[in-house]
Amino acid sequence: MAKPFLIYVKHCPVCGDGLCRVRVCQDPRRGRLTGCILCDDCETVWTDPSLRQKFTKGKVAATPCCPDCGESLWEQTSHWADIPEVCLLGWYDSVQIVRTEQRDQIV
Amino acid sequence: MARRSSNDTEAIANVLRVLPAKWIIGLLVAVVLYFFLQPRLNQWFGWSLPSIAAMAGNEAPAKNPKLTNNKTGSAASKSPAATKSTAEPKSPSETKPSAVSKSSSTASSGGAASPKQADEDYKYRILKPVGRDRYESPAGLIYAPGSEEGHRLAHIAKHLEDQPERPGSHGVFEGDMASFLVAIDDAYKRARGHAKGTKSRVEDGMTVYEAPFDQTIGYLGGTEGARKRNPKLKKMRLVIRDRNLITAFPIQ
Repeated sequence: MAKPFLIYVKHCPVCGDGLCRVRVCQDPRRGRLTGCILCDDCETVWTDPSLRQKFTKGKVAATPCCPDCGESLWEQTSHWADIPEVCLLGWYDSVQIVRTEQRDQIV
Repeated sequence: MARRSSNDTEAIANVLRVLPAKWIIGLLVAVVLYFFLQPRLNQWFGWSLPSIAAMAGNEAPAKNPKLTNNKTGSAASKSPAATKSTAEPKSPSETKPSAVSKSSSTASSGGAASPKQADEDYKYRILKPVGRDRYESPAGLIYAPGSEEGHRLAHIAKHLEDQPERPGSHGVFEGDMASFLVAIDDAYKRARGHAKGTKSRVEDGMTVYEAPFDQTIGYLGGTEGARKRNPKLKKMRLVIRDRNLITAFPIQ
């Protein structure tokens, strides 16, 4: 099910077409939530919303990986962050939020 | 190709006796060089030079070298890459991998406006299967599983239709998936060859190529595109990592 909000930091400075969105990885073994910024088009990964430090090394080749556990960010343990998760990461002030559905559809 | 008889072998031996030794050595060096360079030349320039085994008749010829299906659209028929793609020797029934259904079904939602069979058609007429759910274009680009959509083909299919609600710009290619793949290959070859007007830069293991086109290839979508009344676009940007295509879309 599509999320009612699209949360992003800014347009991707690498590809110019993607949105730098907040991706969270939940490591089931350690039970902690890791956040990173992922371009939804060119898949560049940054460690935080300042977009200063890229993360290029991971366990899976040619795939964006979590800066913490190194696993693919397209695995089922990862997902686009929702607003509470963005708040939990302390990144609420760095993001822009766009409503993607009509108000009466939001539950 | 027919197999060599003993008469052929004798004829070759007679020719070798007549030729000077330095010519024979030169010939052997040329054969060895060709042996090593042939696959690379095919890969770099999109040629289809035959291998030595094929010339010697030891390699089975393609069962269906002439593909008469011509659904690739106008851009595909105009581009030289399109003519190369039609010479792909493997027929769909021979090369169909087992796990392609997921990606093709998702790719079809991206505006190809055709059923699953047509999606598989563009793969096999333009792309060559090189592994489990991995495809190689005539120019050497690899389309592999990955991205949020599950496969790069499904990912780039998002650029076949506008997303008017998406914040910012969203490059939309005007045409079907087959012509999009041909245009991507064309842009890649020109940008790699540093053709006039092309640009390339390397960003932490990724290479970003830009190549202009003579004609309009798409339009600007998204909220910014709508605000600017969807201007026409004549350039394409490709993001590539180790020959793997990550994304491709028209830009201003």
